[in-house]
Amino acid sequence: MNRAIKSRLSTSEMNYFPDEVIEHIFDFIASHRDRNSISLVNKSWHKIERYSRHQVFIGNCYAISPERLIRRFPCLRSLTLKGKPHFADFNLVPHEWGGFLHPWIDALAKGRVGLEELRLKRMVVSDESLELLSRSFVSFKSLVLVSCDGFTTDGLASVAANCRHLRELDLQENEIDDHRGQWLNCFPDTCTTLVSLNFACLKGETNLAALERLVARSPNLKSLKVNRAVPLEALTRLMSCAPQLVDLGVGCYENEPEPESFAKLMAAIKKCTLLRSLSGFSEVAPVCLTAFYPICENLTSLNLSYAAELQGNHLIEFVQFCKRVQRLWILDSIGDKGLEIVASSCKELQELRVFPSDPHDEEDNNTAVTEVGLVAISAGCPKLHSILYFCKQMTNEALITVARNCPNFIRFRLCILEPNKPDPITSQSLDEGFGAIVQACKGLRRLSVSGLLTDKVFLYIGMYAEQLEMLSIAFAGDTDKGMLYVLNGCKKLRKLEIRDSPFGNAALLADVGKYETMRSLWMSSCEVTLGGCKRLARNAPWLNVEIINENESGRMERNEEDEREKVDRLYLYRTVVGTRRDAPPCVTIL
Amino acid sequence: MENSNSYSPYSSSSVDSTKPSPSESSVNLSLSLTFPSTSSQRETSQDWPPIKPRLRDTLKSLCLRQRRYNTALFVKVYMEGVPIGRKLDLSTFSGYESLLENLSHMFDTSVICGNRDRKHHVLTYQDKDGDWMMVGDIPWDMFLETVRRLKITRPERC
Repeated sequence: MNRAIKSRLSTSEMNYFPDEVIEHIFDFIASHRDRNSISLVNKSWHKIERYSRHQVFIGNCYAISPERLIRRFPCLRSLTLKGKPHFADFNLVPHEWGGFLHPWIDALAKGRVGLEELRLKRMVVSDESLELLSRSFVSFKSLVLVSCDGFTTDGLASVAANCRHLRELDLQENEIDDHRGQWLNCFPDTCTTLVSLNFACLKGETNLAALERLVARSPNLKSLKVNRAVPLEALTRLMSCAPQLVDLGVGCYENEPEPESFAKLMAAIKKCTLLRSLSGFSEVAPVCLTAFYPICENLTSLNLSYAAELQGNHLIEFVQFCKRVQRLWILDSIGDKGLEIVASSCKELQELRVFPSDPHDEEDNNTAVTEVGLVAISAGCPKLHSILYFCKQMTNEALITVARNCPNFIRFRLCILEPNKPDPITSQSLDEGFGAIVQACKGLRRLSVSGLLTDKVFLYIGMYAEQLEMLSIAFAGDTDKGMLYVLNGCKKLRKLEIRDSPFGNAALLADVGKYETMRSLWMSSCEVTLGGCKRLARNAPWLNVEIINENESGRMERNEEDEREKVDRLYLYRTVVGTRRDAPPCVTIL
Repeated sequence: MENSNSYSPYSSSSVDSTKPSPSESSVNLSLSLTFPSTSSQRETSQDWPPIKPRLRDTLKSLCLRQRRYNTALFVKVYMEGVPIGRKLDLSTFSGYESLLENLSHMFDTSVICGNRDRKHHVLTYQDKDGDWMMVGDIPWDMFLETVRRLKITRPERC
């Protein structure tokens, strides 16, 4: 294209194209951030973008109201909603805090939105909402619930019964009240469209016959993750009628299988040549893992983080043959030696998560991992970009080595099990180690720090972590300066969560405008006081500043309201719709 | 929950002597970091380390199961016709297969479960009610809870 033509294709020129052409061009832009940008160019583009937007991501369900969302994007088909703050995963947020799905379903139904996909994280979902959902959206295809609660298998029964075109029902880590009903039976015989079914988190019994019939009539089923109530013989039968499976979540087999059953299982597994992802294995006899040897070379994703019964040697024996694995989630019982073997065998590894098998150090088994394992992985796996590592100890030297070996980290989350633990060799803080990580990893977007840390580590983070979007801090820092380094330095920071660290009002109030550029801030067991939070709320009316109290009656009893009293848990977030009206008594919104 | 190690966010009721004492650590004790758990009844913290509830529950139930099985389970084993018996720690076996293998080795003969057989030695056990039963009918876990002693019968007897 010559220069003269190029220079004429400015925005105003583009507007001479009919809307359909512009819309067609916009179709190629998928990222919601890019779409947000193009909608800001001019009024015409804003309008075209609005009507052609099918996928919307809402990182905080209280930042906007469902009505406003629907007004702006009436052609919405796919919605992602996140509710409770991240630390709710660790029991730091009361169940009733909020994040209710119902108002959204209600508004979407009333607005006659043609919803097809709904993805929720940390929301409170009720059976009524699921029923309303199942009846309101004729083309509904995909429901993904992650870390949600508030519903029962009755709600699942509604979805199964009424969503005629259901392709995906994916339940990850939810707290579901299992009524041991017949929800699987509620899928009509005409339902043959299932592609993905995951009910691994259900705690009750499963109607095996209904499950087998469902799988048998779902030729497109690619992903199946069953719960612990599905025994070995049943799994064998399921795999036999679904050899096209790509993703399998295995149930629970406490007892050693009979040789005959085992042989049948192995035969069924051998036929699943498309299998690439394996998970589950809670409470299994070690021999059951060996049944998967025939396909382990094909695996790209392996999640053994629930396989608490398997010992290190069993894990090592299996994982060393998974030469193509890209994503590996495992317990620390694999040990440093095991990680060294992973480093030499799994050259395609991109994401590693090592979880603690003994989180409170109650057993005397010394199988936790240390800096040795991490260094080995960083040296052996050139494609590694994401890590979550729970360990007994870490040294600055190791972190510096890791930073040198792996400058490509996007996510680096290190959790040393004992808070405030210094470098065991030098007895110093880990400031230098983490400093090396942020300096080397120029693309780092997510970071969690732990161990003994002073304000200095935050100076480094503020200075070097230019792409950082999410930072998690626990038991770290000395003074307000620490938090200020981060707030002033990290321009792209979106989420900051802090617990048990000595940051107070001075840091909180220094730059109120900063919070407009962020999604949210969480501070618990820090030094901020009620007075400080009140001042913040006054100066920033576009923020919701929430105080979560220890006990429900906390708000009522505080007649004196001592402004110097420290706030137990603070959660603030930007919003365009003001104070929410569904907060429970334990939450005070300033 | 008050504790002398006020900087240590989680603790059991006894102070662990292998952990660094306050004077060794360079932590500023005036921070007085509070015990993080929102429920003071629990001995160990429910919010540290930061793992999700499902993993926490899985590990807890494993811990309880292991504690049960970490206690040895020695039972007497007699071969019919042989006055001197042996003793066996059942907690070292993962199932009936490994038990039979071991017994076959120990008594240098083929020992099986279940079906009455004119040729093989069949394994039986005395349960906590005092009754003699065939080994292999109930799940392994349940078997461990009820078994009191083992007897390997001579082929003709059964």
